[in-house]
Amino acid sequence: MLQNNNLKICRKLVRRELQFHKGQCLLLVTAVTLVCMLYTFSFAMGSHVYDGFLYSYRLMYGSGSHIICYDLSTEQAALLESHNAVKDTVLLSPIGTLSDEMLGNRNVKLAEFSEKWARETDSVPLYGQAPAEEDEIALDEITLNSLLIPHEIGAEVFLTWVPEGGGEERAGVFRLCGWWKNNTGETDSCAWITKEAAEELGGGTPEHKTLGLTLYLPGDPERQAKDLFSDTGIQNITYTTNLAGNRARMAYAGGKAMEFYRLNLIVVLCGILMLYTILRLSDRRNIQFYAGVKALGMTPRQIRVLAVYRAAALCLPGLLPGWILGFSLCALLAPYVVVGLGANPALFFFRLWPFGLGALLTWLTVLTACLLPIRSVAKYTPAEAMRFTGGNTKIKTMRSMAGRSKTKNRGLRRTTIRRMAFTELSRHKGQSLLAALSLLLSLIILCCVWTKGVSYDEEKYLEGAALCDYRLSDPSAAADTQRYNPKSRSIAPEIPETLSGHPAVENIGIVCTMEVPMYAGAQERAPIIETFEETDERGVIRKEYMADAPDWIAGYEKMRESGEYIGIVTGVDKLALEKAVTQNIFIEGTFSEEDFDTGKYVIASGAASLLKTTPPAGTKVMICGREFEIMACVLFESSLASGADSRQAQFNVTYYVPIGVFEELFPEHGIRNVLIDIDRSRQDEFEAFLADTLRGTEIHITSVRDHQLNFRNALFRICMIPLFVGGVMLVIGTLNFTNVLMMGILVRKRDFAVYESLGMTKRQLGKLLLWEGLSCFGIMTGLLVPGVAAAVWLWGKWQLAHMNTWCVTWRFSLLPLWISLPVLLIIALAVPLYFMKFVTKESVTERLRSAE
Amino acid sequence: MEAIVRAKGLKKYYGKGEALVKALDGVDLEIERGKFTVIIGTSGSGKSTLLNMLGGLDAPSEGSIFIGEQELAHLNSEQATVFRRKQIGFIFQNYNLIPVLTVWENILFPITLDNRKPDRNYIMDIVQFLGLESKLDTLPNNLSGGQQQRVAIARALASKPSIILADEPTGNLDSRTSNDVVGLLKVTSRQFCQTIVMITHNPDIASSADRIIHIEDGRIVE
Repeated sequence: MLQNNNLKICRKLVRRELQFHKGQCLLLVTAVTLVCMLYTFSFAMGSHVYDGFLYSYRLMYGSGSHIICYDLSTEQAALLESHNAVKDTVLLSPIGTLSDEMLGNRNVKLAEFSEKWARETDSVPLYGQAPAEEDEIALDEITLNSLLIPHEIGAEVFLTWVPEGGGEERAGVFRLCGWWKNNTGETDSCAWITKEAAEELGGGTPEHKTLGLTLYLPGDPERQAKDLFSDTGIQNITYTTNLAGNRARMAYAGGKAMEFYRLNLIVVLCGILMLYTILRLSDRRNIQFYAGVKALGMTPRQIRVLAVYRAAALCLPGLLPGWILGFSLCALLAPYVVVGLGANPALFFFRLWPFGLGALLTWLTVLTACLLPIRSVAKYTPAEAMRFTGGNTKIKTMRSMAGRSKTKNRGLRRTTIRRMAFTELSRHKGQSLLAALSLLLSLIILCCVWTKGVSYDEEKYLEGAALCDYRLSDPSAAADTQRYNPKSRSIAPEIPETLSGHPAVENIGIVCTMEVPMYAGAQERAPIIETFEETDERGVIRKEYMADAPDWIAGYEKMRESGEYIGIVTGVDKLALEKAVTQNIFIEGTFSEEDFDTGKYVIASGAASLLKTTPPAGTKVMICGREFEIMACVLFESSLASGADSRQAQFNVTYYVPIGVFEELFPEHGIRNVLIDIDRSRQDEFEAFLADTLRGTEIHITSVRDHQLNFRNALFRICMIPLFVGGVMLVIGTLNFTNVLMMGILVRKRDFAVYESLGMTKRQLGKLLLWEGLSCFGIMTGLLVPGVAAAVWLWGKWQLAHMNTWCVTWRFSLLPLWISLPVLLIIALAVPLYFMKFVTKESVTERLRSAE
Repeated sequence: MEAIVRAKGLKKYYGKGEALVKALDGVDLEIERGKFTVIIGTSGSGKSTLLNMLGGLDAPSEGSIFIGEQELAHLNSEQATVFRRKQIGFIFQNYNLIPVLTVWENILFPITLDNRKPDRNYIMDIVQFLGLESKLDTLPNNLSGGQQQRVAIARALASKPSIILADEPTGNLDSRTSNDVVGLLKVTSRQFCQTIVMITHNPDIASSADRIIHIEDGRIVE
């Protein structure tokens, strides 16, 4: 008897309510759209960051396969392929590894073209085509540049290789049929030939297989690899697992994505606050409505269902625009967060789940906001709730009325408009406090981020991060892993000459290098050996830090035992000399440009540490039969010369000589790098000239613009989330502030009618409301200015103590506050005047009657 | 005559110590079925509090209330609401009509909440009797005060409650409309055998009641 509730009526009520209050409904749907946009944005951006990291790991690994097994027999490959944990495989049949020493540490396999493998490892020829004839070959660009092979279809390619499984080095001549651009961080690649050529050169079907495995479950490939080998009984296999499946790397990527997911906590709070703020606009109507239906017999369950339907009705129209806006915002910002992808990350890593989760959280946020007013009504009996008549948003209970007898007697003071305005403000203390707190918090966040942002000094960063404004690199030294080929003549001597003639160029210098065998006597090498054999403060013998670099260890041991080592003679002039020597840290000796220019001296540079890793200053060294004296020893400047040196030169000592001396020593030399500093105000003009000068060459450019872009992207990444949060909170705070002013007028329709009936003119009423607005603004300003300034100052002090960043110049700025205050002032003056017109439209009598 | 409402030792106190307000201070009351009872008293004497207690809109500090055989204190919030919408019809001074629903939907609202099938003939009789036939599709805001109060009366009668509680139903109406509304209320209650308890300040209305309960300082001074 006491059950039997009808829920259909709730749907009807909600539908009618939305039709009736279209204005508020539109405002609420706009807020829902904003909330949905924020959720979709943060989830989509988080997922793109996560996918972006995994993608970069995959690029680093060079393949999409989860596990790659090397040197397998055909039977072993078949066993692994048939394992039920394996979803897909790609097979490579290499016949050898290219052995040209100019390839340095890169591992390029000469193999029969496999389209599937090529697709998996992004090594499908993009220029030209895959090999079709027996003498055709397709190579990657780094290999072409290292071996000085022109980028032309039909170019002759002479290659040497060591057969798989060992044996004598073999050689062959091919015709270039295609090439592709590869990731500069990759060390593995392929040289594609036809199946027929592979069989002929390998003496039959290739025996040694490399197998890439894609697993059904991508998690923990290391453990899965062990399980696979144990299940198939295959032992002693060389294999690697994809970096994208590495737990630590996945956790790191997850942590980066979490920075965006965490934003949702703020969105939940801000969203509820924003929607609740709008709902509060009709607080009185809501309370009376709920009290009324409660009195008429609507059960608490029916009221809750009413709220659920209301939330659904508000939520649904906001989802689609929210998704579109969120995704668009993500597409706009993602290229600055996930950099270097080429395509837009939002489209490249498109996923559906951020939309689903965004919708779910939007629904929960709206539901919470819709349930809040019900919760406040639920505390009261219907009789108490119906007694609520507006003005003060608190429900007037007999209890609160009973407490009024304690109100202080304020004395017989004359009533003035100003005093009335101040008294009125105290009626909205709670909501005013909420508005003030959200404004304070948002402005603190915004001013702190702003201060942080303007404190990052781009000039300082560029000085520290970029050796110079532009660095041109020989194509064989474009990638960090690529060994510089001194035979390359890609940077013709005319290029620096032409460039130096441009009026934007302030300074220019060239860097030329040559590896030469050298000898250090027992006395000269003693300090180097002492440094590397010494135990450091962590109890480690220094040379052990290089245990992972066998070529370095071999070079060092050779020097220690025989005194023979590789010296890298580096010719430098003007800007290059300045960067290498005059701006560097001297470990020993001093630099005299006059003496250096005589050609009798060299500057020695060893490891990038302040320890002695070169023969001491004053030592005589023989370079190509010519004697030089070491003038000084400096810290090694690794960014002066791009690319890598030979494996034998992993352990080396660099000797800087004037470019004239270098030309005398090596008349047939090439230019490894050109360093250029320009007047940055003419950057665009110079870049156009540079592009024109280098047209048709493969010369690699490292531009100051790249560093600027890196700096700005990094700054954007640092500031984006707090700026976003602060911005949303500022909107909510401003909305609350507007709401306080608006509510203070709308609920006083009768009061104004009474004032007018007692003789207050419209002008006086306007004055009263302006005073109220100004007083409210004054109180807000009094709270915001010292509050924000103190918070930013304290935060700045803390940041200075903890932010150990070399490119920061502390600049205290409250710009967001100064921008916000005039906006708040305009609102404080405009809102009361606008709404006064609205509530005084009817005659005094009408208003008095309708209020009754 | 059988009592439809029984209240015993009804007290409602607010605040504590010096601030203690005794809205009701030990009210014993029985209201007979089918009678038109009027509660009168000065402002703040406890009339509305008593009516709200009788209708289950408020809970007493002490004492018990029986509507028929059901003691209200034994019902939880959900049950009390359902009981109220089945057994008690309310007519409020401010009408309490739902602005987003039409007159017809407002009249049916308590029945719809209960998921009951409305007795259309019975309700149409009430509608005709109250002269609302031409206003059924109208929204409350487009009606005059008197018309809105008639809708409230129709709504209170529509669910065939055991008792109708009216809190100054003529408080917002002019004297002519007030007389019309009270007349209608009396006639319809007789016609449809309803018990009516009404608060009023109007001595003319009070004089036409079957019984007058005078309340002062939270006590009945009959």
